[in-house]
Amino acid sequence: MFLARVEKRIVSAAKHKAYDGKTVYVVQPVNPDGKPHGKEWVAVDYVGANIGDIVVCGGAPGVARDVFHIELAPIRTLIMAIVDKIEYTDR
Amino acid sequence: MKLGIVIGNVWASKKTPELIGCRLSIVQPVSSDLKENDLPLVAADPLNLATGGDIVVYVTSTDATQAFDSGFAPVNAAIVELVEEIS
Repeated sequence: MFLARVEKRIVSAAKHKAYDGKTVYVVQPVNPDGKPHGKEWVAVDYVGANIGDIVVCGGAPGVARDVFHIELAPIRTLIMAIVDKIEYTDR
Repeated sequence: MKLGIVIGNVWASKKTPELIGCRLSIVQPVSSDLKENDLPLVAADPLNLATGGDIVVYVTSTDATQAFDSGFAPVNAAIVELVEEIS
């Protein structure tokens, strides 16, 4: 999984049914200190994240199918946690 | 998943059976401010969601196979959303 900041929301009417009713965000991976690094991802939220939140994103192939209990889920990146606090030591 | 812009199409008369009748789009990966940030790739569009110039969300890795009703196709990139707005 990776740390990221929720940047923008994606609105779409024509999509695969697995995305119906789901909130889809653009997330920017960040270092523990909050500095962005790497390319943006698109992630499906199911824990109630909002724009500006630092979140934990990730997912293994097929995980979305179990999480959302749907048969076919072409979803790879999920927002699975909203970070309250980060403690880390810089190497 | 990632953001991309459909910049073209691929026609192939000889191809794996699972892809017969399925559109193969050329997608230019972009950041949310629509700046190119990777090499173009070929993404299957089983749901016929997008045409040239459209902004799309595409899924990669094995999850892309689940964009097909059969739940299987030898692909690792598939278009899953036609983007209306990024705000």
